[in-house]
Amino acid sequence: MNSPITNKTQMKSLLKTEWLKIKYYRAFWWITGITTLAYPGINFLFYNVYSKIGDNKDQVSRMAKFLIGNPFSFPEAWHTVAYFSSYFVFLPAVVVIMFITNEYTFKTHRQNIIDGWSRNQFMLSKLIDVVIISMIVTVLLAIISFLFGLINKSESNGTMFDMSYYIVLFLLQTFSQLSIAFLIGFLIRKAFLSLGIFLFYFLILEPILVNVAKFKFDDIGRFLPLAISDRVIPVPAFLGKISPEGYQKALDSIPIHIVLTVIFTTVLWVLCFKINSKRDL
Amino acid sequence: MASVLSINNVTKFYGSLKALNNVSFEVPEQSVFGILGPNGSGKITLLGILLDVLKANNGNILWFGHPPTMDDRKKIGSLLETPNFYQYLSPVNNLKITHSISGRGSIDEIDTILKKVKLYERKDNRFNQFSLGMKQRLAIAAALLGSPKVLVLDEPTNGLDPVGIAEIRELIIELRNNGHTIIMASHLLDEVEKVCTHVAILKTGNLLTTGNVNEVLTDDDIIELSAYDLNKLAEILKHYGKNISIDVKMNAVSITLPKGTAKLDDVNKFCFDKGIILNHLILKKQRLEAKFFELTNN
Repeated sequence: MNSPITNKTQMKSLLKTEWLKIKYYRAFWWITGITTLAYPGINFLFYNVYSKIGDNKDQVSRMAKFLIGNPFSFPEAWHTVAYFSSYFVFLPAVVVIMFITNEYTFKTHRQNIIDGWSRNQFMLSKLIDVVIISMIVTVLLAIISFLFGLINKSESNGTMFDMSYYIVLFLLQTFSQLSIAFLIGFLIRKAFLSLGIFLFYFLILEPILVNVAKFKFDDIGRFLPLAISDRVIPVPAFLGKISPEGYQKALDSIPIHIVLTVIFTTVLWVLCFKINSKRDL
Repeated sequence: MASVLSINNVTKFYGSLKALNNVSFEVPEQSVFGILGPNGSGKITLLGILLDVLKANNGNILWFGHPPTMDDRKKIGSLLETPNFYQYLSPVNNLKITHSISGRGSIDEIDTILKKVKLYERKDNRFNQFSLGMKQRLAIAAALLGSPKVLVLDEPTNGLDPVGIAEIRELIIELRNNGHTIIMASHLLDEVEKVCTHVAILKTGNLLTTGNVNEVLTDDDIIELSAYDLNKLAEILKHYGKNISIDVKMNAVSITLPKGTAKLDDVNKFCFDKGIILNHLILKKQRLEAKFFELTNN
């Protein structure tokens, strides 16, 4: 058995090695580039819709705008941008899946061990990959939220950074969902099969299950892997106006979903470490 | 001599298939240890267990006298099965990763080692543009990084051209002369015969024999002799030993004697005293190939 790694220099060495793998991986930079465009893109789309409403000078539209409030001004901007951007988690998920399945395709998962990593160190290096990617997209999100907030004059009484905790929630949600992508790649080992399964589950299967459960089974779908962390960032306030009760309920359940997400993600990684230390490579 | 590696009763199953059956042997320090066996004999499974990519179902191994740790693996230069590298990286960047993980060698050493395996001119090409032979050379470079005292090489000449094979053979002899211990798996008997000091022969997961190359190779001494009258020669030799055979085509008689007992001058004198003058007398070592077939066919 290998003891858990707490040593700082070992950690640094793992980081250095992963950076060597990432640095020249073109797909990584492509996806990062695409994500950089996608986040502001989707937010801009909704921002436009909102602006259009304001363009009409009639009484109803102005009323509507007044009621909605500007979702892209501080502090709600942090929430709104995080919510819309989170739809694009499948972009970094592609990178996460490629990073783990590459190791199996190239058989470098064996070579890394042969060269002297323990199996736990290998797993830790992969955990570092997922953390790095989650951090990068979170930094992107923070910058974009900040810019949206800056260009939209605030009409609320809240101060600028009141709701900036949504950045942390976004990080938690992204890390949790990317960990699911990782698990699939780790178990399936084949790049395209893993990508297919993840995208099918993310885009089609779970949304259907969650919606069916919402009406038929007392919303039990909230405990599905992706939904657990989805509910850490509920719909933005202006969409919440459609059903104020439901919105309040969603806000109230954030803390429990934070706890559930942390538990779920921890269990997931413990499982990965355990499986990896037992099986033949 | 101290053992670099002890293998004790190692057994490995793949499902119900027994890939290794209670295999035990020792690898002495500063030896070139060849693990031989036909396809599917368990060579690679054994090497995989030595390097912790496969888990044995039973038995244990000791590296340097203690159960294996990851620090042991860092000190061992290894090439297992196929060359495993990041396809999108250049040889230099791949070796940087080897260095970063194992701590063997240094960044400055990479150029020198690429020159040694004749890849220096291609050092900025991506790995996936390499031919099989070049990939194999890079794998050998990775194993050599930091000049490790112990090397584990699986089919080191795989995919190389005749010049490359000769170069690797010289390299292994050079390493042996410098006191390195090399454990190599191979099915190329010629290769093993030329460089190994010790062998272990595996067949369908069972260890058939192990030991010093000279001991394993020549269980018996075979003397080949010839004279004008072969029949008379064969007749008188009956008083000298067993297993006398006449090879008409080669125009020679051969006689098998227990290991280490063949003394050519004695034989010569014996025949001369009986009135036969020899025109041919030679001690033949059984070639590894013949021995290998003999062992693995039973």
